[in-house]
Amino acid sequence: MTASTQIVFRRARRTRSGLGEVWADILLLAPGCGFLLLAMVVPVVQLGLASLGLFGLGRPSQFTLDNYAQVFGDSLLRGGFFFSLRIALATMVVSVVVATLLTALLQIDFPGRRLVSVLYKIPLVVPSLVAAFLVLTMIGPGGMAARLLAPLHVTWPSFVHDQSGIGIVIVLLWHNIPVTVLIVSAVAAAIPRDLVDAARNLGASPWRVFRHIIGPLCAPGISAAALLVFIDSFGTYAIPSLIGPAYPRAISVVMTTEFLQHANWGLASALGVVLIVTTAVVLVLYYRLMARLREQAPA
Amino acid sequence: MNTFWFIRSARLRWLLAGIVIGGAAIVFVLPIGVAILWSLVDPAVGWFPPDVLPSSLSFANWRALLAVPELADDFTTSFTVAVLVTLLCALLGLPTGFALGRRPLRLRRVLELLVLTPLMMPSVVLATGLGSVFIRLGLGQTIPGVVLAQTVVVLPYMIRIVAATLGGVPQDVIDAARNLGAAPLALTRYILVPMVVPGLFAGALLAFIGSLEEFILTFVVGMPTIQTLPMLLWSYLGGRSSFLTYAAVVSLTLLVPTLTMLFVVERVLKQEYLAAGFGKA
Repeated sequence: MTASTQIVFRRARRTRSGLGEVWADILLLAPGCGFLLLAMVVPVVQLGLASLGLFGLGRPSQFTLDNYAQVFGDSLLRGGFFFSLRIALATMVVSVVVATLLTALLQIDFPGRRLVSVLYKIPLVVPSLVAAFLVLTMIGPGGMAARLLAPLHVTWPSFVHDQSGIGIVIVLLWHNIPVTVLIVSAVAAAIPRDLVDAARNLGASPWRVFRHIIGPLCAPGISAAALLVFIDSFGTYAIPSLIGPAYPRAISVVMTTEFLQHANWGLASALGVVLIVTTAVVLVLYYRLMARLREQAPA
Repeated sequence: MNTFWFIRSARLRWLLAGIVIGGAAIVFVLPIGVAILWSLVDPAVGWFPPDVLPSSLSFANWRALLAVPELADDFTTSFTVAVLVTLLCALLGLPTGFALGRRPLRLRRVLELLVLTPLMMPSVVLATGLGSVFIRLGLGQTIPGVVLAQTVVVLPYMIRIVAATLGGVPQDVIDAARNLGAAPLALTRYILVPMVVPGLFAGALLAFIGSLEEFILTFVVGMPTIQTLPMLLWSYLGGRSSFLTYAAVVSLTLLVPTLTMLFVVERVLKQEYLAAGFGKA
């Protein structure tokens, strides 16, 4: 529905109905939105309070800033935060670049394209732990890659439990590139054919069509996908806990260890608040950037 | 699917097809083949580097895991929870998806943002918050607790897919049918249901898959009483010491149903709905 028809609709409804319609909306929205609102607000409030030592589990309630002092003072925790940030940024950048190229490739008509468009969706339904296992059997120590390269006397580098976190990024990429391709190709599929045909008829090369028409029209989809990839990689637990290094440990791993093994919900909550704030900052930056891009774009 | 450009030379097209299909096979299909081999490795012989293929195969690992109740129990738990999550998502998501997809709403942007929040919150934070709240409410280590926790992260996909599906039914078609004298029942039977069923079916399957593969929330809320297949896999991969052969068996137990569902959905599903579910903004 376009914006203009929506306005016509809205006017018609409003004059005809009034209060009854509003109640119908509220009744319809209550189950889904009500549930999500409750499931978001209560845990976040609980985290905020527990991080300040208030109403925490298993400890007397007393206001304190110790948890935050520890988060910013402890080099182990700080290291974990930056490790997670690095992993998330690397995954985001590589995902977006590779996925954009792959989407462009999938727009070319070649035999077997339909098959590839099904195959690439496999990681979408593979649980992240299974993905970690699959990638491990391929590139881990004694994995397929190492076995195949052994006769050539090439030593395969170890990507597991390594300080750089490359192994974690590879698993995250295996999972996230297909998601990004899916989102970007849905956006690309919505581009009117006429526009591309017109440009081609007027003599634009495929590259110019990509640069000036498809690229700009896909930009909102690409940036939204980038955001999702960043958030998913930033908060991932299973993969770094399995194949991450002993130091630095990802912030999610530190957090989970704190409350599962040390029952230190206060510190875990403070880390959670830091994670939420970081994510919020990224979201605000994203919306600022998008707004600026929209302003610059010719009408 | 759109085609934006063509390659004239047939040889180049086949070359491109070969590279892309080969690459996709290596990246997406080969690992599953290797997992199958790992699950069939004979424990008496093993599969050590530099052998590219195991020297002997057996069903010993499958028999060993089927002999203890753990795998079957976790399988039952996983699938029971997945069915419950799907039902709850349908119950909560259908009315809300309908309102977001078809009704003029004043606060649409805010509501859409609210639906997206669970996806924009790092999952470990959600797990910590919900985990401590659920322990307080006595929902920790219970099936209802796990179902509610998983619903939080799966419901957004359901609502978005329902909204996209219902919103995609053109008003003209409904108006035309009414003008031509279709009764509400006939309208529903011949117009609405056929247009809407594929999307709703896809939403349900994605909710089901989403529940099956969810790990961190289930882990924090359910552990150690409630154990699902991903949690069993976690214990074979890292927790207890690594048993690649058993991990392969558990992985395949999870992969066979989810991959089957993917191929079913892929046939009935328009890409837009899938993308809507996965957070196309």
